Amino acid sequence: MRNVITLARKELSSYFASPIASIVMGFYALLFGYFFYALLAFFERQSMQMSMGMGPMTMNINQMLIAPLFMNATVIALFVLPMITMRTYSEEKRSGTIELLLTAPLTDVQIILGKFLGAMGLYAAMLAVTLLHMAVLFYYGDPEWRPVATGYLGMLLLGGCFISVGLLISSLTKNQIVAGMVTFAVFLMLWVINWIGSFAGPTAQAVLSHLSIVEHFDDFAKGVIDTNHLVYYVSFIVFGLFLTAKSVDTERWRG
Amino acid sequence: MIEVQHLTKRYGPFTAVDDVTFRVEAGEILGFLGPNGAGKTTTMRIITGYMPATEGKVIVAGHDVFEAPIEAKKRTGYLPETPPLYPDMTVRDYLTFVARIKGVAGREVRGRVDDVMKRTHVADMASRHCAKLSKGYRQRVGLAQALINNPDVLILDEPTAGLDPKQIIETRQLIKELGGSHTTVLSTHILPEVSQTCHRVVIISKGRVVAVDTPENLTARLRGSETMFLQVAATGGEIEPALAGIPGVTRVAVTPSGDGTLGVEVDSARGHDVRRDLAAAIVGRGWGLLELRPMRMSLEDIFLHLTTDESTVEAQPEPEAVDA
Repeated sequence: MRNVITLARKELSSYFASPIASIVMGFYALLFGYFFYALLAFFERQSMQMSMGMGPMTMNINQMLIAPLFMNATVIALFVLPMITMRTYSEEKRSGTIELLLTAPLTDVQIILGKFLGAMGLYAAMLAVTLLHMAVLFYYGDPEWRPVATGYLGMLLLGGCFISVGLLISSLTKNQIVAGMVTFAVFLMLWVINWIGSFAGPTAQAVLSHLSIVEHFDDFAKGVIDTNHLVYYVSFIVFGLFLTAKSVDTERWRG
Repeated sequence: MIEVQHLTKRYGPFTAVDDVTFRVEAGEILGFLGPNGAGKTTTMRIITGYMPATEGKVIVAGHDVFEAPIEAKKRTGYLPETPPLYPDMTVRDYLTFVARIKGVAGREVRGRVDDVMKRTHVADMASRHCAKLSKGYRQRVGLAQALINNPDVLILDEPTAGLDPKQIIETRQLIKELGGSHTTVLSTHILPEVSQTCHRVVIISKGRVVAVDTPENLTARLRGSETMFLQVAATGGEIEPALAGIPGVTRVAVTPSGDGTLGVEVDSARGHDVRRDLAAAIVGRGWGLLELRPMRMSLEDIFLHLTTDESTVEAQPEPEAVDA
């Protein structure tokens, strides 16, 4: 465990030593802020209309603002996370530091977990900035806190899935651009895989919809923790890390 | 301390290391010598547990590298061909990180880091980022990294590559000092380095061990005959028959040099010291003996001899590329 923490800290501090962390966090905050403003302005107009008796009958800030905001935030994660994970293994391979890690008394699992937690740490820091926006809502409004908490949990799990896939792809190549591009393509594929569901048979549709990574996010954004989705995300992460371990191992054999 | 037994590594149809066997005793410095692509780096990577072998086994400090990799790796320090530095980290942070992952106890980390920085003369660069170090400093931080957990076994892949002459001497000195307390394997292209620092030499060519011996024995073994070089102030063709008549002399070759003297090479059978007789013969005839010295076969010659012999055995006409 000590080794995992040491490795995770090294990963995290290398993000912060390079411009990566500040750029990623800054632009994430910018985009999130933009979505926040757009949704807030929309919500404001709706509540104005309601007060004049023309809008919807009830207004729920959780459903009308926070849930869509989370959905938008996952889209930003889709673009940002490949840039975080693309260097994890590729960079070590390119610079030869992988020789240090693989000849140190560490297990592959420790190295992978260290990298996973390091990337998760940066992602969590990105999300932490958005707590500021939430604080504004809590200060001026009266949202329910539970859906907010589950929304963040869902964001972390969704990000964890992306990061585990990103690690796997980064472990397959020396080239960061290749790693980044492939990771993005795979993320997007996982995102939209159920779009063709309506053209497929009912069984295929159910399967595709279950595979879709964002399909499982809806309930979290609405404040529901369903074991079904929890199991999906956690097993997805574990499977991704397992494949990464296999990839690192075969890489050893191939030299 | 290190036991390499019948090590073989194949990449598909290509055999990089072919049935290599050798052992290194505790405290010994072993030179690993061979042309580029001979399998030096591959062998070292297998010893350090970076990659598994196709066949054979390696035992480091009593632990099988494949079966107990963690135990073996705890006792090994490794400097790869390119020092594995993280450009974003300062030298101190980097060494602290390495100390932690190599299992140095928390409270000893700081002391170890200071100690290796002093020994490798990088203390003045402690707070500089690794990306901004010169080649010489990189190499030395790499060496510091390998020493950080005070390992029983040191594996150094071309430790002096890219250093300037002064740094090379310092590094060799350091390796020699480490020799007593650490078992060291170092690979190199530079042949004098081997005779200066190593107790024993393993010469490897095309993945096979072609010779294992001390540098002195290797030199002696390959010298089938002794060769003397003489510079003589004499004229005419009398010198050749005069020297060829001495018992034990097998060949005399005379080459006139520009300044009116003659350069003479004399081969003699092993075990016959003909120096006295040569000198007497020359001086007795009234010629001037300006120089008389034995011509030793250098390690370079041995190296070329061994590694090219290999290629003639396998009937491959192309000459071996040796950058030394």
